[in-house]
Amino acid sequence: MQIILPDRSVRTLSRASAPIEEILLELGINPTTVIVIMNGRIVPEDVTATEGDELRIVRFSHGG
Amino acid sequence: MTSAENRCSFCGKPAVARLTGPERRLCAAHFIEDAEARVFAAMKDECMVAPGDRVAVGLSGGKDSTALLLLLHPILPTLGATLVAVTVDEGIAGYREETLKAAEALTAELGVEHVIVTFADLFGKDLDRLLVGREAQGCTVCGVLRRRALAEGVKRVGATKLATGHNLDDEAQSVLMNVLRGDLPRLRQDTSTGQPGHFVPRIKPLAVLSEKEIVTYLLLRGYFRDLPECPYAGTALRSEVRTMLAGLEHRHPGTMLRIIRFRDGVRRSARSVEPVKALSTCRRCGELTSGEVCQVCRLLGQGG
Repeated sequence: MQIILPDRSVRTLSRASAPIEEILLELGINPTTVIVIMNGRIVPEDVTATEGDELRIVRFSHGG
Repeated sequence: MTSAENRCSFCGKPAVARLTGPERRLCAAHFIEDAEARVFAAMKDECMVAPGDRVAVGLSGGKDSTALLLLLHPILPTLGATLVAVTVDEGIAGYREETLKAAEALTAELGVEHVIVTFADLFGKDLDRLLVGREAQGCTVCGVLRRRALAEGVKRVGATKLATGHNLDDEAQSVLMNVLRGDLPRLRQDTSTGQPGHFVPRIKPLAVLSEKEIVTYLLLRGYFRDLPECPYAGTALRSEVRTMLAGLEHRHPGTMLRIIRFRDGVRRSARSVEPVKALSTCRRCGELTSGEVCQVCRLLGQGG
């Protein structure tokens, strides 16, 4: 699966499947501070991503 | 949970969020409906707005105030109130220009009256110039001056209420910061009643939504913009508290809500025991202060 990080860099994860929350924690990202868009759709972090999925992680900065 | 199992509790469409209290999964349409209903319910429960009110939205153009304007725009007419937007231009190079443009575009799109007040106009200098040599105090200085600027904007538009975009995260962070500073008076301070002749009542309709819920709402409605972060952010205690609280909220969901309930409990019990210290007026500018000279005059070097 392919992961687009908040800084727009791309990481490829060679795993068959994993819960999104687990992936975020492995990347050192607190799930309450980001929104995950899987294959173009916002999803809750307890959904499992599988091979071939694209995850885009949106971090929201403070202010406003 | 597989993608196929991730379905809206109400209609079975793919869910975009899982919320608790009560436990539910929501599709895009039901998430938007849920967020709007919670804000509306909070406004009614807390009697935030009365018929005839002219509500000024403090619109920075960032995510929270954008969501606030979008949410209040359809709600206020149903409550017999009208809406006006007030933007404070602090004068922060490389940051404010873009959010100012966003604020202007949004008010134009919604047909909402929009007034801009500037630090340069009110205080003689923009924030960047006021902070030369004391950049680390950025958030403190800006906070004090921005409150005054917003109050001035509210006076200019003749509003009877000021709505700010404070969300659940902001409010919980403020409670913890007051606890860490040992600042009980500020923890008890309730701005929702206002101060006749000085401040109109402040309302915080978004305090029932987390920052994450607000960003989800904006993304779903197509209004989320990746705007620059304030260059002075991160110099304050708030950023440390924010990180700590985000970790606690993840490990112990509902932490932020419980902190707000704790604050409300403290306010209720403290109110019956000890009256809040009376405020006097600043001998320089005539605005309210707890001492002889207000914070704004002290920051502007007019304390003598």
